[in-house]
Amino acid sequence: MGGSCRRISQFVLKVHSRCDLSCDHCYVYQHADQTWRGRPVRMSAATAQSAARRIAEHAREHELPVVHVVLHGGEPLLLGAAGLRELLAELRAAITPWTRLDLRMQTNGVLLDEELCRLFVEYDVQVGVSFDGDRAANDRHRVFAHGGSSHDHVRRALALLRRPEFRASYAGILCTIDVRNDPDRVYEALLAESPPRVDLLLPHATWDHPPLRPGSEPTPYATWLGRLHRRWVDDGRPVSIRMFEALRPGGGGTEAFGLAPADVLVIEADGSWEQVDSLKTAYHGAADTGFDVFDNSVDEAARHPGVAIRQDGADGLCATCRACPVVDRCGGGLYAHRWRTGSGFDNPSVYCPDLLRLIDTVDAYPPPTPPAPADRSATSPVDELLDDLATGHGSASTLALLAATQLSITRALLAACRDRSGTTAAWELLVHLDRAAPEAVRAVLEHPFVRAGLVHRLDSSAPPGLSAAVDPLPAIATAAALRAGVPATLHVPVRADAITLPTLGSLVLPGLTESAEVTVRPGELQVRGGSVEQTVLLDPLAPPSASWRPTRDVAVPGGRVLLEDGDPYRDCYGQPVESRLEGPAARALGRTLAAAWEVVHRDVPAHAAALDGGLRAVVPLAPDPARPLRSATARHAFGAVAVTPHPDPETMAVLLVHEWQHAKLGAVLDLYDLVEPGESTRIRVPWRPDPRPPEGVLQGVYAHLAVTQVWQSRAATDPGDASAHAAHFLGWTRDGVDALLASRSLSAAGERFVGQLRHALEETVVGSR
Amino acid sequence: MDHAPARPSRPDLDDLTRSLHTPLERIGVEHADLIEAVRRRVVTNAAVPSGSVAVAAFNSSI
Repeated sequence: MGGSCRRISQFVLKVHSRCDLSCDHCYVYQHADQTWRGRPVRMSAATAQSAARRIAEHAREHELPVVHVVLHGGEPLLLGAAGLRELLAELRAAITPWTRLDLRMQTNGVLLDEELCRLFVEYDVQVGVSFDGDRAANDRHRVFAHGGSSHDHVRRALALLRRPEFRASYAGILCTIDVRNDPDRVYEALLAESPPRVDLLLPHATWDHPPLRPGSEPTPYATWLGRLHRRWVDDGRPVSIRMFEALRPGGGGTEAFGLAPADVLVIEADGSWEQVDSLKTAYHGAADTGFDVFDNSVDEAARHPGVAIRQDGADGLCATCRACPVVDRCGGGLYAHRWRTGSGFDNPSVYCPDLLRLIDTVDAYPPPTPPAPADRSATSPVDELLDDLATGHGSASTLALLAATQLSITRALLAACRDRSGTTAAWELLVHLDRAAPEAVRAVLEHPFVRAGLVHRLDSSAPPGLSAAVDPLPAIATAAALRAGVPATLHVPVRADAITLPTLGSLVLPGLTESAEVTVRPGELQVRGGSVEQTVLLDPLAPPSASWRPTRDVAVPGGRVLLEDGDPYRDCYGQPVESRLEGPAARALGRTLAAAWEVVHRDVPAHAAALDGGLRAVVPLAPDPARPLRSATARHAFGAVAVTPHPDPETMAVLLVHEWQHAKLGAVLDLYDLVEPGESTRIRVPWRPDPRPPEGVLQGVYAHLAVTQVWQSRAATDPGDASAHAAHFLGWTRDGVDALLASRSLSAAGERFVGQLRHALEETVVGSR
Repeated sequence: MDHAPARPSRPDLDDLTRSLHTPLERIGVEHADLIEAVRRRVVTNAAVPSGSVAVAAFNSSI
């Protein structure tokens, strides 16, 4: 089978083909396709293994940056905690060596309990819950087989996901609309569940089985959704509603709208590859491809004509759609909704008149800040990342993505240094080690101050070749060789009689000149330069060498964190850093940090997970009696924070949470403009007397939101001072957010981010009652 | 008329994650635009938007 093949990044796994609800609008059981009757009840371990291998194979061959896997059904929770754990472990083990795995689940929520929530947090699974709104709306369709209501069951599941310890796994709500329901009550019921995102679905219908249109109105769906859209805009878009965002110019990001190529395949419980699930509404067997995961690759399934035609954009649509002025907005609507016996899918959507009018409505009642042209490319990936961070903390998956982008930036800076200096022995050693021992190179490049050194090098005004004293590549390569146990010899620049090997330590040898020859051998370093010729044993069992000052680390709940008091590039905080700590002081700081980390886990587990995911080094700041309690974060040193070595773990915990917020947001600002470029507005804030730039205010509110959450948690057991602190920081955050939104200085992405922050803030307020 | 696409003004998320799979020796060739975008975005003295908190201690900048 020939032809080019598009990369597929979304996979829906039908892990269980039965359901514990009996919803009469369900396309799986109640519509034309009835293939579920012949499927196994649950996906077997062998099928799951083959599916995971196929996805991993595709990710590897196409170098996919991310793969989304959605556990679906039937009802996936019927697999049970043990079955789900086995499946999740299989997927993670097979796929994560090759790409970032974004795990999701769509469930009715009925069986969700604490054990399952813990499992989903552990495996970083984002859970979407199907919920149709207020009791009357939800129970119109979403009932048990005996006719009983599911409303309370689903609300209980949503309440579980809202709990701070499980919030990271709360993806949002999927609501199928019914025009007989009250749109205001549905809207209010959805908002009451504080979802990170809402997706509204039109009920599945075709030209053979048109949608319900009660009364004489020709476009009741446009009317109903238009009403909900107006409420949403008037309320300041308090939650992301994907349908409305997708219908905006440049929207997309959903299968239902836009002309983006279809990027999804389904794996049925028996291992069959299928096309998009919604086709089941068209006719029996409509989603079949004839392929399965045992004998066929993703590429083969993606070349199936039914999938291939979805890659053609407007050319794959009917003549009516191709001639329509808003075809780029609706994209012909959902593929399944175009079906008519005889002409197949070569028709406009059966919802075409509603979609036309709804697009007019969206255009006529625009959001407060329409996106600037430069932001139109910022669709779903940006939204997902920002929405997740706007919860106040961010999931482990988002932290991993941010850390990966920071590593990638460091690698790009390394390559830029190579461009500047040409090919050197240090570069050639790094290239060799990148092939032979990539983990060693990665460990060094992830050190927070490597980027600072590279930036310093690239920022130098010295012409190429004349600034060897600040060339960081030899030290980076030597550190990587040492970590890899690979013998090597390089000339390494010397600064203040010292050579610092990132992550490992510093050689301090008075008498060295501008550079020294450093030879790496297993367990030792040999140094020759100036009047110095010395061998330094690195074996921890060997007598300590006075000239080798190893970087010390501390065991913390997230792993190990470095006490970085030797790297010269740590001096990037705009205030003096402490020189190397004496042993007792280092041990005392280590104890405080370990205890503080435990406190963060106790108070705000979601923030602790984010801390575990990225904080690698803590820099002691020099003492200043006038300002004994200080902390700082530097944009060029993701993964590190600087603190004065305060002995109280409770205080240190607040500093860590505060600074880590800055680190995360700094990494985001490397990627996106949240403030309009060139914006010169200054904003008055409650925490300083002088007006501040918008980006400073943004950093402030993000940090203060987290600190508010720490104090609120403490207020549960200490209603005195902790409550007062919580109220204090809450007021700062709220005033800062409102001032930012009123300043009109944010980009569209920034408006969205701060709007979501305000929503998180309201939840914080609710949580404090 | 030059129809070459404009260089990106900021590093693209997909490009960043994809470049992690590129060996160091090929990164300069295969991701030249990304390197340029990173250089412009990240290196001090590149065009920094007015009012941004580009470097240094956030606590003294917020």
